[in-house]
Amino acid sequence: MSVSNLLENWAQVRHEHPINDKPHDPYKWAMAIDLDACTGCNACSVACYAENNLPVVGREKFQHGQQMHWMRVERYWDEDGREFPDQGFQFLPMMMCQQCEAAPCETVCPVAATNHTADGLNSQIYNRCIGSRYCSANCPFKVRYFNWYDYPTTDNVWPAEMTQQLNPDVSVRGKGVMEKCTFCVQRLSAAKVVAKGEGRIVREGEVQTACQQACPTGAISFGNLVNPESRVHKQWEAQQVVLDKDKQEKDEKEERAVLRGYRILEELRAYPSVMYLERVRESAV
Amino acid sequence: MIDSGIDRRDFLKVLGWSGAAVALSGCGNTSIEDGKETVVSYVEANDYMVPGIGVYFNSTCAQCDAGCSINGRIREGRVLKLEGNPDSAINKGKLCGLGQAGVQHHYNPDRVREPLLRKGNKGEAISWDKAYALIAEKMAGVQGDEIALLSGGVSGHLKVLLGNYLDSLNTKNHFVYEAVAPGVVRAANQKAYGVEMPRYRLDKAKVILSFGADFLGAWVSPVHFSQQYAQFRKGVDGQRGVLVQVESKMTLTGANADRWLAVKPGTEGVLALGIINALGTAAGEVADLVKEYSLVRVSRETGVSVSQIEKVTALLKMRSPSLVLAGSAAEGYAHGSQNAAAINLLNQVLGNVGKTIEAPVSVPFPQMVPSKGNTAALKKFNDGLSAGKYKVVFSFGANPVFTAPGAFKFKDNFAKAGFKVAFAHYLDETALQADLVLPLDSALEDWGTQVPEYLTEGAQINIQQPLMEKLHANTRGVGDIVLALLKQKKSEEYKSYEDYYAYLRSALLQNKGALGGGGADDDTFWTDTLSRGIVKLAGSAVGLTGHQNVAGLKLPAVAEENEHYPLYLIPGVTASLRDGRHTNQPWLQESPDPLTTIVWDSWVEIHPKKATELGIVEGDIVEVTSRTGSVKAQVYIFPGIHPEAVSIPVGRGHDAMGRYAKGYGVNPFQIMDAVFEVETGELAMHETRVKIHKTGQRVLVVKDEGAAGALQMGRKIASRVSTDQIDLSKEV
Repeated sequence: MSVSNLLENWAQVRHEHPINDKPHDPYKWAMAIDLDACTGCNACSVACYAENNLPVVGREKFQHGQQMHWMRVERYWDEDGREFPDQGFQFLPMMMCQQCEAAPCETVCPVAATNHTADGLNSQIYNRCIGSRYCSANCPFKVRYFNWYDYPTTDNVWPAEMTQQLNPDVSVRGKGVMEKCTFCVQRLSAAKVVAKGEGRIVREGEVQTACQQACPTGAISFGNLVNPESRVHKQWEAQQVVLDKDKQEKDEKEERAVLRGYRILEELRAYPSVMYLERVRESAV
Repeated sequence: MIDSGIDRRDFLKVLGWSGAAVALSGCGNTSIEDGKETVVSYVEANDYMVPGIGVYFNSTCAQCDAGCSINGRIREGRVLKLEGNPDSAINKGKLCGLGQAGVQHHYNPDRVREPLLRKGNKGEAISWDKAYALIAEKMAGVQGDEIALLSGGVSGHLKVLLGNYLDSLNTKNHFVYEAVAPGVVRAANQKAYGVEMPRYRLDKAKVILSFGADFLGAWVSPVHFSQQYAQFRKGVDGQRGVLVQVESKMTLTGANADRWLAVKPGTEGVLALGIINALGTAAGEVADLVKEYSLVRVSRETGVSVSQIEKVTALLKMRSPSLVLAGSAAEGYAHGSQNAAAINLLNQVLGNVGKTIEAPVSVPFPQMVPSKGNTAALKKFNDGLSAGKYKVVFSFGANPVFTAPGAFKFKDNFAKAGFKVAFAHYLDETALQADLVLPLDSALEDWGTQVPEYLTEGAQINIQQPLMEKLHANTRGVGDIVLALLKQKKSEEYKSYEDYYAYLRSALLQNKGALGGGGADDDTFWTDTLSRGIVKLAGSAVGLTGHQNVAGLKLPAVAEENEHYPLYLIPGVTASLRDGRHTNQPWLQESPDPLTTIVWDSWVEIHPKKATELGIVEGDIVEVTSRTGSVKAQVYIFPGIHPEAVSIPVGRGHDAMGRYAKGYGVNPFQIMDAVFEVETGELAMHETRVKIHKTGQRVLVVKDEGAAGALQMGRKIASRVSTDQIDLSKEV
């Protein structure tokens, strides 16, 4: 894509949601993650490695910050200086691409390699990416991962037999390309193709992301936000979290809301598609 | 035995073969080379294979003994991913990270591929015929009691076959060893409830008080317990369950507790008796037993504040039923049985027996129930080795050279055995000491049946079946090896079984009626069983006794300070590495430890207060010294540990086992003292005392957490709300 072409056609490759001319129809993929159910066990993260052909980079590259885990479990202590963390950790299961509706990464990509799909995903086009890494620099969640090496040919990443484990539905990325969580777009595409063939839209529960499928406590729900039957839709609605608001009405009220849905760094106006439900701790002990 | 036109093995061969042809990878399927098989083109492919579409087969996870059923995704003959089988009552479609990494066990580049015979320091590849002949030769003239077998937990038909083999050798020396096993808790449960493992109903409890049971991480059946935990949090009648965890080093479960109580190592039982006293509901001999345990005394001995004990007691009084669990932290001391008995007594006083502690079901085939591994077995085996009793030793499913406590001097003793045969997937530390190594099929290539120790709804027999064709031509299933050895002794009896598959099929078909296949013909029943991957059985409930005998319950005085070795060493057992048998699976090495976020290395956890006292900062290399030995590792400052303890995770520190395991981290088993639990003879894993000193070196800790450590710096990233501010009843 030449610069002139890019400048002329910018509006076409840039697609920000929500906008009136292209509403989310019939799909808007979204998630709700319950921090109270998450135990921090990492099953989701391993599932992601298996499903999405993530390379294991090894100790040295990990030390250099070159790990490729699309999702990471973060955990935090209380900051009140107690001797022991006697209310446990606060796990943030799965910090991964929040599939922002107005994604800061998209606006800075010089080649429009990352842009918005009609079903509300922040997509990454590997063969368009030139590796400027502007997107990663501009991502407030730090969930974009850059291929500093050509992992398929790096020693001990996928030696001999291990290549047979690679998922043929997902491309193996080469050096110089940015990558990130896709909401398991290969699974979504497959489900959409099947549904289209049958003249309907994808039903609730018909498609699961790999992390959701593995999660032993069912902390993750995933689905079509515009489908009123979907669990995700019901959860967002019950928690009064609205996709295209940067300040939720419920938070404006004087009284402390009795709802626990929130989005991370909402004030940055990126409109993330992932809602988290606050962790709950018993007050009686 | 097999008379149908195409059986499942042929079908797998076809699958594997065409997969190889299509992928043009060659992929090490040596059947190409011997040219014995037919290429089936896609034009006339079988209807179970559609190019480009994944098909799913059920089997059983072999990464730990919990017995989760798996659903393997296979495409063009290659297994790609393991998922949970939704029909299993144990894991209900879910699978932990350890289980999912099973594909990396199968595809591991460091698997043993040929039978290896020791030639000096090297292994020389030999044929299977030669290997079997050699075993027969070494057995000649050897008495039964001069033969020993060390294995991990075994169940199902393999256990039956092994038993038959040992009988044919006239030996009773089968040592079933698991390095990390709830041996003391089993014995204590047997006394309190009449069963070793009752069925815990976390989902029915309103309060769980866990004394170091890491049921979300590495304890007994974590995927099942995690699912129950999710229910427990949602609550009975809308009242969210409350988890209180008591332990000296925070586990994953502790990190999820509503209240985590740091207890002085070894005083778990004192706290349990203190709570019974504070409840004030006990009468008779129980009241007599606990009356000495006043709040002030208990608080002084355990380090838990009076107000905290009062709060927990009030909660237990208010919300019933509750559930009290005794885990590895409580049982790991010389008085572990007493700790566990005190904890079980608390359950009884709270009236939980029969409510959240239910009777387990028994499996109708007692010969197939698991032989459960423990550490007392290792001691016996080690004593025998030390005395030079054994001329022929077999070993599989365990890695004692790596996991035996340093004080056992196991490696030296093992060398005293005459002829050592290891059945192994990798050249691990134990296989390296063997004289003959027999390479095993991976768990995704092998046939088998398994009965889990911890059963949930009803009894079940899990089916393990190959998910793809063998990667390496010269590996064998463990059942095939045992059958071949058995044929050496009793050829007449077993000659009709061509292989272990034939044995398994015939054994299951013989019991078709009892296995729920009464009306079906053999082939239908067999195909059905394989496609389900589970045989569900009614099973009858075992009676619970629910009476903890108070007479023998006496806790020792709190341990005195040890001048030379002032700190307790707590071996950390993590959900992904367990006892270290899967450390060579790179996904697990690179999966950050949930609590410290450290990868690819070991660490020493020290409380910030202690670190300040000793002038230690994160990344300092310290030497941790016990009476038995010392190791050097990096420090991670961690507030979730008692200041009088340090913790090193087990599982790393291999000096063998291939490229992904060798040379990463240190092995705390090496410095473990030989202290035993008094009643059961189990190894007291938490009794090792250590001292630490700085070596002066410092490294950057390789971890996932950022520069801010575990602080959110005032931002709302992971947020928390307390129950009095929230209404959960209206949630979706």
